[in-house]
Amino acid sequence: MINPLLELKEVSYKNKNNFTLKNVSLRIKSGEKIALLGKSGAGKTTLISILNGTLKPNEGRVKLFNTEFDKINLHQKSKISTIWQDLRLIEDLSAEQNVNCGLLGKQSFLFAFKNLLNISSFNKAHQYMQVCNLKKSIFSKNIRKISGGQKQRVAIARSLIQESDIILADEPFNNLDPKLTSYIKNLLLITKNKNKNKNKIKVPNTTLISLHRLDLLDGFNRIIGMKNGEILFDLEKTKLKKYHLNKIY
Amino acid sequence: MNKLKLNSSSIIFLPILVCIPIAYELFINFHIGGIELFKEFIISALNPKINNEIIFSLVKRLNETIFIAFFSWLISIIFGVIFGILSSEVFYKILNLPIFLKRFLNLFLTFIRSIHEIIWGLILMQIYGINFSIGIIAICIPYVAINAKVFSEQIENINLKTIESIKQINGIKSSTLITLVWAPVIETFKNFGLYRLECAIRSTAVLGLFGVGGIGTSIFLSFQTLNFRELWTYLWGLAFLIIISKELLKKFNLSKTSKKFLTSFVIALFCISLFSLSFFVYFIFNKNAIPFNSINNLLISNFNFISYDFLKLLLETIVLCLLSTGIAISFPPIFILILNNKIGITIIRIISFLFRLIPTPVLILILLMFNDPSISLAAITLGLHNAAITSKLLLANLYNQDNKQYIAMKSLGVERRSSWLFGLFIKQANSYLAYCAYRSDIIIRETAILGVIGSVGLGWQLQESLSSFAWEEVIVILFAYSSIAIIGELINGKIKSNLT
Repeated sequence: MINPLLELKEVSYKNKNNFTLKNVSLRIKSGEKIALLGKSGAGKTTLISILNGTLKPNEGRVKLFNTEFDKINLHQKSKISTIWQDLRLIEDLSAEQNVNCGLLGKQSFLFAFKNLLNISSFNKAHQYMQVCNLKKSIFSKNIRKISGGQKQRVAIARSLIQESDIILADEPFNNLDPKLTSYIKNLLLITKNKNKNKNKIKVPNTTLISLHRLDLLDGFNRIIGMKNGEILFDLEKTKLKKYHLNKIY
Repeated sequence: MNKLKLNSSSIIFLPILVCIPIAYELFINFHIGGIELFKEFIISALNPKINNEIIFSLVKRLNETIFIAFFSWLISIIFGVIFGILSSEVFYKILNLPIFLKRFLNLFLTFIRSIHEIIWGLILMQIYGINFSIGIIAICIPYVAINAKVFSEQIENINLKTIESIKQINGIKSSTLITLVWAPVIETFKNFGLYRLECAIRSTAVLGLFGVGGIGTSIFLSFQTLNFRELWTYLWGLAFLIIISKELLKKFNLSKTSKKFLTSFVIALFCISLFSLSFFVYFIFNKNAIPFNSINNLLISNFNFISYDFLKLLLETIVLCLLSTGIAISFPPIFILILNNKIGITIIRIISFLFRLIPTPVLILILLMFNDPSISLAAITLGLHNAAITSKLLLANLYNQDNKQYIAMKSLGVERRSSWLFGLFIKQANSYLAYCAYRSDIIIRETAILGVIGSVGLGWQLQESLSSFAWEEVIVILFAYSSIAIIGELINGKIKSNLT
């Protein structure tokens, strides 16, 4: 049996007095393309925050590469990248400096310092920004001065440049027009044998994306539906029926 | 009858009531003994002494002032940033260190911040004798803590979610830390750091009055010999230095500097911080300390507070703070309201510039020409100096804001003063009051200077205790000062958070 990349066992998370996640168990294997569905407040963001280790569950266990999350080292942790719903970019830094921040997990302190002084190399950042369909003219612009859609793609480029094994994306298509949504979705869902694409960038082989739009489900091979902090269904894409969706919406 | 309802605007005008006891005490202490001297002082302002000898001396003293001010500013900014980071929650979150270390450090910084640079200067001079380095170290001690507070407040404003997102990239902790704190540190340096140079120049001038060197020493010597023309040459020289430094700093735009320059600047900062740290350590541990034989002397001394009326002095200091703060808050809006036209505003600007320029010890000595020493005299001196500072900010904010409401009121035929009050002032009342709350923290610290010169409050007792090397008394006074400042800071912090 193949070991899962990420595993949750009977995980619960209580925020103040309310459960935002109730007894959730989940195994994510390499190569899976998972869509996470559910209404606002269903617990999708909490689940992603627990998967990337930002939140610690009140109950249950989280394992990454078959090791308890608390026991894994920084190098292993850097194999998960996240695209946050609220982007969490650093204001005051330029778009390219923000993308370069994605490399902090693999670079030395000197790199971080040079990045802040704007004297580090931006070649790799530019490569990823171009892949995310960002124009050269915005590379050096301050993050405050670019549009919502551009910020969204900067956040995506920052996650991709981490060259992680798994990418967790919380509603990554917000602020994007239909054409860009389709392009970015294809980029994030690229399969292993295609991941040496024409731009020679490495895209994570495993993806978990939370979504609201059901018309974007093409390309995923597993669908998880959540409601009130619980997983109501977890099945292959081909087995998804309308009544499944009725349960969560 | 309707109930009285206070708002920020009315609260700003109310402290003018402090003028009643102040005016009464000044009136009964008034004498005409020094009126002729005062006249001479005023006339000399327009007729300063200019000859080769004095110009040479002025340039030499200005050089000393620039040297002390610049190095104390630079060192205090560098260490302010370091301590600012160390005393911010972000540091402990990223390095997973226990938060009690932050509280301990903050307590230590609050203590050294609460004691004015003049007191540090006087203490260091008593321990090490008059020394050029005293000025730099005395300014640096409280300035490091003040800067650290400002930098740490800005760093604390970093969005928690941004911290999480950068932490989640799982870089080495130092990289994560510097990536997060860089932007707020640079932004604070741009907005606040350069202003601190102006403060350092003023502090150097005031410290000079106590013999540390720089232009302050010449100002004080000229005053002692009643050579007012010479005194004004130095005062105008100081004004020139402040104006020039401000203009130069305005031109220094950090965001437009080249990468090469920025790198060299950072390397230079690093070298200076290493140099200053080693210099400080050498200075403290070399064997030049004159009477301060060992720390044990402090601990085994007999504390004898009965020998002086300690509580009375403590109370005097608190009253002095309250009276001065009342003047600093209420004078600017009242005078702007009364003299509400272009000429009036220009007059206010000139007078407030002069009150900012003349160091408070010199100002109180001038006022002593026709008044006996009293709390009121010290309060009016400190109040006027600080009112000059608050008026500068108030004027800048009043006339840089959107004035549509003011124009609309005037077009409705509302009288000019009423239009000013409701169209311009009311919008600034909250932020002005919040700034005054911050200013009162500084007034509390500055009471020490007035005490030393004007024979009022704890400052006077400190001078006496220092002169007689009564270190146990000095320690008690320092703690008393520190306690007043910390309590004041806590109260003002509450007021500020309610206002903003």
